[in-house]
Amino acid sequence: MAQCVQSVQEFIQDSFVPMVAVLCSEDAEKITRKNNLNFSELLRPFCRLTSEGHVRDPNNQVQVVKNLRISVNNVVTRPSVPTSGVHSPAQRRLLSAVVSASQPAEGGVANVITAGDYDLNISATTPWFEAYRESFLQSMPASDHEFLNHYLACLLVVSSSEAVPVEQFHKLSQEQHMIQHNGEYTNPKWFIPNTLKYYVLLHDMSQGDEQRADSVYEDMKQRYGCQGCYLLKINSRTAAAGTDEQIPDPWSQYLNKSSLQSQLNVLITKSPKNYQWKSNLSTHGGLDLDLDNTHPLQLETAIDMPGSLDSLRAIAAETKTTTVYTGVAAGTSHGTCLTLNDHNRLRLFIQEFTFRGLLPHIEKNIRQLNDQLVSRKGLSRSLFSVTKKLFGGGKVPEKSIAELKNTSGLLYHPEAPELQIRKMADLCFLVQHYELAYSCYHTAKKDFLSDQAMLYAAGALEMAAVSAFLQGGAPRPYPAHYMDTAIQTYRDVCKNKVLAERCALFSAEVLKSQAKYSDAATLLIKMTSEDSDLCSALLLEQAAHCFINMRNPMVRKFAFHMILAGHRFSKAGQKRHALRCYCQAMQVYKGKGWSLAEDHINFTIGRQSFTLRQPENAVLAFRHILTNDSQQTATQQGAFLREYLYVYRNVPGVCEVALPQLTLPCINSSATRVYFGHERRLAEGEKQAATHVSLDQEFDQDLAAVWQDLEEQVVAAANRGVVPSTFYPTQCCLNSQTDNLHFPLAVVEEPIIVEVAFRNPLKVPLVLSDLSLLWKFTFKDFSRPQPQDIMVGDAVTITNEKEAIARLKLLPRQTGQLTILGLVYNLASTPSTGDSTINSPSATAGTSVRGRQDLEIQGPRLNQSKEEKTSVSHGPDRRLDPTITPPMPLLEVFFLQFPTALLCGEIRKAYVEFCNVSHVPLCGLRVASTHPDFFTFGSSSLATPLTPLSPTSFENCSAYKTLATPPGATPGSVTAVTLVSAADFGSGGGGVFGTGGKRIAEIPLGEGTLTPGESTQLPLWLRGPDQEGVHEINFLFYYEGAEKGGKISHRVLRHTVFICASRSLSVRATACRSNTLPEEEGRNGSMLVFVDVENINTSEAGVREFHIAQVSSSSKQWRLHKCINPAENKDCKLTTRERGKLCFRATRCKPHEATSKSLEKYTFADLSLGNEQIISSTTPCADFFFRRCQPSESWRPLIAVETQGRHSRSQGAGPGGGTEDITGVVRKCNEVDLDIIVLWKAFVVEDNKQVILEGQLHVALQTIGKEACSLRQKEEAQEMVLLKFKPELPPPMTRPSMEQLSHLIKTNLHYPESYSHSFVQKSLCMVPVILTLSNCSLAQVDAIIDLRHKTTSPESLEVHGSFTWLGQTQYKLQLRAQEVMRLPLRAGFLHAGVYNLGTPRVFAKLADQGAMCETSQQTATPGLIIINST
Amino acid sequence: MAVCIAVIAKENYPLYIRSVPVQNELKFHYTVHTSLDVVEEKISAVGKAMADQRELYLGLLYPTEDYKVYGYVTNSKVKFVIVADSSNTSLRDNEIRSMFRKLHNSFTDVMCNPFYNPGDTIQSKAFDSMVSAMMVQAS
Repeated sequence: MAQCVQSVQEFIQDSFVPMVAVLCSEDAEKITRKNNLNFSELLRPFCRLTSEGHVRDPNNQVQVVKNLRISVNNVVTRPSVPTSGVHSPAQRRLLSAVVSASQPAEGGVANVITAGDYDLNISATTPWFEAYRESFLQSMPASDHEFLNHYLACLLVVSSSEAVPVEQFHKLSQEQHMIQHNGEYTNPKWFIPNTLKYYVLLHDMSQGDEQRADSVYEDMKQRYGCQGCYLLKINSRTAAAGTDEQIPDPWSQYLNKSSLQSQLNVLITKSPKNYQWKSNLSTHGGLDLDLDNTHPLQLETAIDMPGSLDSLRAIAAETKTTTVYTGVAAGTSHGTCLTLNDHNRLRLFIQEFTFRGLLPHIEKNIRQLNDQLVSRKGLSRSLFSVTKKLFGGGKVPEKSIAELKNTSGLLYHPEAPELQIRKMADLCFLVQHYELAYSCYHTAKKDFLSDQAMLYAAGALEMAAVSAFLQGGAPRPYPAHYMDTAIQTYRDVCKNKVLAERCALFSAEVLKSQAKYSDAATLLIKMTSEDSDLCSALLLEQAAHCFINMRNPMVRKFAFHMILAGHRFSKAGQKRHALRCYCQAMQVYKGKGWSLAEDHINFTIGRQSFTLRQPENAVLAFRHILTNDSQQTATQQGAFLREYLYVYRNVPGVCEVALPQLTLPCINSSATRVYFGHERRLAEGEKQAATHVSLDQEFDQDLAAVWQDLEEQVVAAANRGVVPSTFYPTQCCLNSQTDNLHFPLAVVEEPIIVEVAFRNPLKVPLVLSDLSLLWKFTFKDFSRPQPQDIMVGDAVTITNEKEAIARLKLLPRQTGQLTILGLVYNLASTPSTGDSTINSPSATAGTSVRGRQDLEIQGPRLNQSKEEKTSVSHGPDRRLDPTITPPMPLLEVFFLQFPTALLCGEIRKAYVEFCNVSHVPLCGLRVASTHPDFFTFGSSSLATPLTPLSPTSFENCSAYKTLATPPGATPGSVTAVTLVSAADFGSGGGGVFGTGGKRIAEIPLGEGTLTPGESTQLPLWLRGPDQEGVHEINFLFYYEGAEKGGKISHRVLRHTVFICASRSLSVRATACRSNTLPEEEGRNGSMLVFVDVENINTSEAGVREFHIAQVSSSSKQWRLHKCINPAENKDCKLTTRERGKLCFRATRCKPHEATSKSLEKYTFADLSLGNEQIISSTTPCADFFFRRCQPSESWRPLIAVETQGRHSRSQGAGPGGGTEDITGVVRKCNEVDLDIIVLWKAFVVEDNKQVILEGQLHVALQTIGKEACSLRQKEEAQEMVLLKFKPELPPPMTRPSMEQLSHLIKTNLHYPESYSHSFVQKSLCMVPVILTLSNCSLAQVDAIIDLRHKTTSPESLEVHGSFTWLGQTQYKLQLRAQEVMRLPLRAGFLHAGVYNLGTPRVFAKLADQGAMCETSQQTATPGLIIINST
Repeated sequence: MAVCIAVIAKENYPLYIRSVPVQNELKFHYTVHTSLDVVEEKISAVGKAMADQRELYLGLLYPTEDYKVYGYVTNSKVKFVIVADSSNTSLRDNEIRSMFRKLHNSFTDVMCNPFYNPGDTIQSKAFDSMVSAMMVQAS
């Protein structure tokens, strides 16, 4: 139970006070009316006595009466409502009004209770409960079983202005007597038959004759005794004087406080607050009644009184109109005619009346009753009761009445002797003689119980307990069981809920004062019932307070009972109290994981707040339910949502001023993506647009790195190889993974698309409509004031269940700084029908609410410095703050006839269209690609007018530039030799082999710029990648504005294609030194080249057969010379899995070619195998040749480049020690550096049509004897991957291997094939043999030729045994670089036969090296000679 | 037997609540929550010294009009609450005790699960089925 303003003792004492009735004459009433008060009201503020009174008890002991209060009331003689034990509806309304009028003070002091981990903010006091209790107790009907609220005395008030005041007094006295003794009025109950009458002469100082009043008073004194009358002078203040004087208004707290009550008060049957009712009445026709009934009485109904019926009618009439009058009454001030002196007089009057009149009267009566009791005690009490039992007939009439009152037991006549003791007890109680009162009650209780008069017994029990409690320093403990019995009896036996409730209120209060909170709570909870919601609510609330006040506060019980109370309050229509209860309970449930309960409370709070017009709170509460990951069912959530939306919609003024912040659906702000740039046309007929970047793509970190690297390279190329320090990679689409530290740049007139990710936490669908962005724009110093940004675009999204995204477009129209703040949208629970286009929120049907939600993106967590690591701080995220820059060119790229699948090495021609869609000219167009060998725009220097520029005439036309073979030419012989400089095919200034520009190509635009709106088509050749499989090829188009110095230096456009390459041919080639003598003097360069071509195509591609159309060579030093084994049918056909071998002879280029000004020039030699010659030195073919050696496989930025760089470095013959030199020199002599280009045609059946595809494959022959393949070895690629993880091994000390050294010198034996000799004539046959030594290397070589048969294997002995070299058997020679030396030898034969001359052994070493390097050279092939004998 | 079984963490938030009549779930939540006051009262009543030998089973916490609420506290202050129908007179103290013991065992199994994060709501299927077994017996 909450704390009360009064102490328990005060409270109980004030609940039972002596009652005094008032009967007022008409004139007297008029006098008091001047103050807007009637007489009893006039006295009310002065009813508490400040001084002590004294009463002598029957034993002549003086009893001090402290702080006594008396209750003065007008007599009301209305018929009583039967004491049914329940409140009448009117009473209920009154109580309800009282409770609702009493609300917790705004910002009132709340005390914080800490219980366990709960900190509760609970209002310490519950004034509404006290108000209720007060009102409840005052409205207690006077019942027959107790006398406490029966009238003890009656004030008869007559005005001094009356003609004959004494007569008037007489009249009033008679009236009182009639009311009390006539028997017609049951209602105002009188304590004792001999009621004290106190005569008051009221004198109006302002108008009456004071002397006359005094004389009348003297007369009265004579008549009634000086203790029985009083002259009261009031209204001493004149209206004129009154205004400036400030007089306290003691009535206000009694009257204004309950102005609300007054309207309902009218209907109350037995209310001690009748002064209110009177006040209304007196302004009306009921006035006479008051004047007539000078009896100051409470609840007596004087039916026979003239005017009483009128008054009743008036009441009936007034029930409808009271509001008006009370309104008036409440507004006016009271006591305007009274001075402070008058106040004192009133106070004095009451004191005089009480001490002189009332208390002696009570004392007298107590004595009287005591005497009666004592005299009766003479009889044996027990005997008396026995006789009562034996001759019970004496009580028969009472019993019959009792039957009427059904179970409440026996009912005594008001004047019955059994009640004497109770009367005495009550009197004692009223004068605070609790000890005597207790003993009397105790005795009475016994009597009543023995009489089975249960109602009386219960009353006595109740009062016995109360008076026992009130005995200060009580000798006996508080008899709690008395109370329990009393309550039980009232409730169960007497069926009197009201009395039971009263009893419980006292009991609980007493228990509380004794810190028996648990008992009090139980008692209060027991008292709750279905009948009265208000009562139950209040009791439950008090019980809850009991729980929290316990020594170990029971927080949860408190909360639970608060909720129950709140529920009952809301049922009783006390919404404010209900809300308060729920809010207090909420403190316990909040954030403790009891989500179901929490949601329920929040929901209720939301509802109540809404009905109480506290929409903010309602919104808050509802927001709570809906944002939590609620465990509610879908239907429940749906209901919540509807309610929420409804509340939102009805929040007044919300839509007009500022949009409300909505919390539904959740926005995943970090998933917000921002896209800069206009929406691209994806495809237009056959045109295929560049993919660029779009919001549909997922962000890929690796890919972004690839693009960034490409951009860096192309920017470097555009800036003469240096990346400017201000370079910042272009980001078209910003998301959570991109670098958002910089303000993104957006171009004016180009849309910004913001993609917002919503998440619906609910199980019910949400409908969003009319989405638009909120933004802020500030002008920057780009001095061009003008048009407004216009927000374009809104979207309608239905978010069902989980997640959804919305894309919103913003079109900046001016340069400056834009900040996107948030979103505005309509939220609805179920799809509203098709009104999404209507903008005004009022037009949208159903429950839809327009609100906003801010977009705030938290940047990535900072983790650089120590402070940042230890604390949690986040960097900025500028995704939504784009800077709008002046217009920039905008490029669109379309591809025509772009294939998706190619054979490996296939050449295809496509077209690319560049289109400038902006209003600004565009220049500096470049392209970078991850696969530079995939495409070429052709060489800029060589005009290629042969290929048609427009794609329409392209059909079936070869991509190559061809010439018909001259008819006479032998197939397989060289038809053309061309010299070409690599620079011609290098794109850009750097050339293909330039360091930085490897993957960059400048695009040859007509004039170098694209004017606004212009578009250009360019041919583009594609070559299928060498490796089969799907290739992702990235193009990055770079372009700049014509004007430099803008905020954006350049722009890029991305394109990604996927090419599926399928296997075509596999070409392997080997070169070996031909042993035949060089045909030309001084030229030892002649080589055999074997080319193996295998069809490895899987037949699915529809390729029927491949034709090798031509084999071309390209090298700085070599050229193919001739085909050695031309096929019979001219063409070389290969069907599936067939293999063909081609042999060629290669020769060194002509000296003048080699020595001519540029060694860098490449010699292209075409060996056509068909009937037309493809000029390999022109655009597509040569382009791809020059692009070929670049690594295209598994190309990844940086790492791969790095490793590759190292790789090549380690291979190259860098500067270094002697060994390095040797290696270089030695290798040089084995190097071939010849590239074979195999040009093929594939006959493909496609849709029953034969299509001829063309292609070219490259084989780079590096060294003699080593096989080279057109396909890159897979192992190599793997090794490169591995290099990432392993520290690179230092390059091994390269010493030329034996094998390599053995190629230093090439030997040839020159001799006649057969030789005839007449052995008969001459037994020794001498044959001249010439040994040709040619130095392959570019260094001086020492050679030793040993002709002795050193190796004497049995086999060789057998064969060679019979022949010897004649003459010098060992030569030491020195060969200069590339020198060819002939050494004449002679061989001697003894017999005819076949001999192998290939026995000379040649050792060689580099001239400037030690012997260490001496190596036996390759033994020459067996040189067989036939010696014939003639 | 039981109409509602709840497991409440040391910090008094629910780890697990199941009740048989689903439509009355809220009511059971309130009941269980309120019963915690009694549980705390009972624990503190035992006193600190006796805490070790304390009987885990707390017995009947309080009877409401329709239900009886029983409590059980593990040594780690995890509370088990079983709400049984008052009309079910066949339910004896021993049975309730054994139910709690079963519940405790099952709860221990849940805790032993290395993938269970202590403090999370219990989502174990085994636990679920055990609880349903205890509730089904009633109906």
